[in-house]
Amino acid sequence: MRQDSETAVGMRGIKKSFDGLSANNNIDFDLKRGEIHALLGENGAGKTTLMNILSGMYHPDEGEIFVKGKKVKIGSPHESLQLGIGMVYQHLTLVPTLTVLENILLGTNRKFLLPGKDAEGKVREISEKFGIEVDPKAEVWQLSAGEQERVEILKLFYRGSDVLILDEPTSVLTPVEVEGFFSVLKRMAEAGKSVIFITHKIEEAISVCRRVTVLRNGEKCGEVDLGDIDMGREALRLKERVVKMMFGETPPAKAVKQKPRKVSERTILTFDCVTAKNDRGVPALKDVSFSVIEGEVFGIAGVDGNGQKELAEVVSGQRKVDSGRIFLVDTDITNMPVRFNNDMGIFYVTDDRIEEGSVANFTVAENAIFRCYRDEPFARRKILLNMEQIKSYSEELIESYSIKAPGADTPVKTLSGGNIQKLVLAREFSQKAALLVCNKPTHGLDEMTVRYIRERIRRQSDRGVSVLLISSDLDELQEVCGRIGVLYRGEMIKILPGEGAAVGQIGRLMMGIID
Amino acid sequence: MGAEKIVRAAAGPVIAISVAVSLGGILLLIIGFNPFRTYYELFSLGMGTYLGVTESLKRMAPLLIMSAGLIIAFRSGIWNIGGNGQFLIGAVLAGGIAPLLMDRLPLFLFFAVLGCAGFIGGAAWVTIPAVLKAKYEINEIIVTLMMDFIAIYLTAYLVRYPLNAQPGLFPQTVLIPIEKRLPNIPLTEVHIGLIVGLIAVVFAHYLIKITTLGYEIRFSGESRKAALYAGVNIRKVVVIAMLLSGGFAGLAGANDVMGIKGAFQAEWNPGYAYSVIPLVFLSRLNGIAVIPLAYFFSFLSIGGEFMSRAAEVPVFFVQVIEALMLIFFGVSEQIRKRGGFSWGS
Repeated sequence: MRQDSETAVGMRGIKKSFDGLSANNNIDFDLKRGEIHALLGENGAGKTTLMNILSGMYHPDEGEIFVKGKKVKIGSPHESLQLGIGMVYQHLTLVPTLTVLENILLGTNRKFLLPGKDAEGKVREISEKFGIEVDPKAEVWQLSAGEQERVEILKLFYRGSDVLILDEPTSVLTPVEVEGFFSVLKRMAEAGKSVIFITHKIEEAISVCRRVTVLRNGEKCGEVDLGDIDMGREALRLKERVVKMMFGETPPAKAVKQKPRKVSERTILTFDCVTAKNDRGVPALKDVSFSVIEGEVFGIAGVDGNGQKELAEVVSGQRKVDSGRIFLVDTDITNMPVRFNNDMGIFYVTDDRIEEGSVANFTVAENAIFRCYRDEPFARRKILLNMEQIKSYSEELIESYSIKAPGADTPVKTLSGGNIQKLVLAREFSQKAALLVCNKPTHGLDEMTVRYIRERIRRQSDRGVSVLLISSDLDELQEVCGRIGVLYRGEMIKILPGEGAAVGQIGRLMMGIID
Repeated sequence: MGAEKIVRAAAGPVIAISVAVSLGGILLLIIGFNPFRTYYELFSLGMGTYLGVTESLKRMAPLLIMSAGLIIAFRSGIWNIGGNGQFLIGAVLAGGIAPLLMDRLPLFLFFAVLGCAGFIGGAAWVTIPAVLKAKYEINEIIVTLMMDFIAIYLTAYLVRYPLNAQPGLFPQTVLIPIEKRLPNIPLTEVHIGLIVGLIAVVFAHYLIKITTLGYEIRFSGESRKAALYAGVNIRKVVVIAMLLSGGFAGLAGANDVMGIKGAFQAEWNPGYAYSVIPLVFLSRLNGIAVIPLAYFFSFLSIGGEFMSRAAEVPVFFVQVIEALMLIFFGVSEQIRKRGGFSWGS
């Protein structure tokens, strides 16, 4: 592809891997002048890695970067800024006690005295030009998240950036703020600035961008030109196409599809109008009702952040519900502590295997006994740990789950992500379980491990254990689940049979489109 | 643990100590002392004389007892830095109760009751920060530190008024006669507090290492998030760890009253906690490694006291060395973590 002056940024064949896990594999990316270009993909698809390469945070293993037609090497965020590329991170980085102006000047001023009036005039000029309304004298702590985001953008403009990378900019905004934010973006594009808009929300990408690049599992799955499409039917079809790109096509019928299983009708888990808040105190689950029967794999589909994590946590006992009841068979487990639920046979494979599911400084053995360290034979009279038993038990787990670890005494921090996940899985799956909650168990793992984990889940269900499988991978849900419930903004908007459900239909439901 | 592993583990503290001592030498030079002569005095008085060694071993007792508690607290991720206050409360309680019991109980029971009183006093003193932390997530660093000041003035009041043995004279509690103080370890002039201290740190070490409670303590300290996920009752762990650390500090106070002082005296505040905190960090919160380091710290403070008389070097010079040791230990740990240096193979 030729590098004309219309191209603001070009990236060719970018490869980047972390500890052998490929985050970006041979990705091409183009940004034209005056364009808003969406970089779309699920969490962990490699969007942020790609952009961190462009902003100088990471160095690519392979590949070339062109800025305004010239081949460049970006060694640091500073060099990237000098090339006119600026990035606004997901977590805002302003100093709350300083004013807007002071924040903008921070790091730009090399003189002893602050520039004062001139700088203020320049900031006002920029904000008028792009319609970014912020009072330069306001202190940042007084500003809403939306206003703070504008300050971040102003800051980059002040430094002369003309390529802006915005990482999930709408995640902190209210719907009204999103509207205002989009109009600012459009004005910026009209004024000749180029914007890369990282998001996992398809609707937003379509409503504001001219082009969309879709990443999935570190690879580029396609690029869609939205330039001359008017909204309406066209948009809907386009959306479906993008959904397919993001989540993958339905694979041709696999040799080993679901085995017909003896289905008992005994209900294991019942949700009765459960409502719960997330960590920020905002309702995350609204009147959710469903039930899971014995030996069933019940899938929960949804775009990240629609209440899946909270759903898993109210079952595991880590989160309190505001109203509604949860039953395990006949026992009311609403708001019972984790340990009680463990005793009842509920175990939870968390999606956060590094921070929550394991302790980095603990050995494999210490990580293997999260759920059973107080029980015989691992503890004598609940007081003394029986080291030999613990060691041999964890060696068994290492063996039977083929975890690549030198031994039971190895600190978990030296294991790879996939092996930590296997360890978490081995731990939870080796308990006397009635119900297993798995939150994105295969997320970010290589194909081999993914297959292995799905097989393990299937095996559990064959043994009569019910599984609640939360995933944003629709292929996975279709492959493994008997039924799939779709969560959208905290509501279970539909429950579909896993067998016949089309990816398109689930994808639309995940966007809240009920047809 | 293999010999090589011990050497590798000891490398950090040893290097930190050497660098601190060298830098201390330069400081001595700057303030006009001959560093070689000063260090010679320090080591010969502190380690080369019978008195120096005996006094150092006696000083080890409170340091070891308090280390036991702080290891537990720090492992659970709790920053109890109010050890001095807990020490004073334990000491004043032991000193206050002693006259009531010393003629009524057999000696060994007398020691046991006083020890328990000290332990309970220290633990009671830390109850407020413990509950505030467990229930309302209130920062224990600030609360334990502030409680120190309250303890200083509370004990000052107690020893001046209700517990004062002879109003009008120097305020102190009733003196325990020499024959009713802690007996010496046979063949030495070191009282059995040292044995108590050794038992305490070994107890703490194995509590952390091989009990389910110890596992929960380490769990809470390493990752709150994971501990909650695994169903560990973090509040319970926080309270237990704090009570144990306060209790041991109080026991150290009772130990000094029973073993050395014989009474609680006004204005007495040895401030051991400020030595014990760097001490347990130098040991990487290891109850066994604490033992030699505690000897070294005791030697430093005793040797420092002797030296200040002999060479007129200010007493706080050894505190400067203690502080420098901690700083360089921090640096060496950082280097080790980053793998920038490799000690040996």
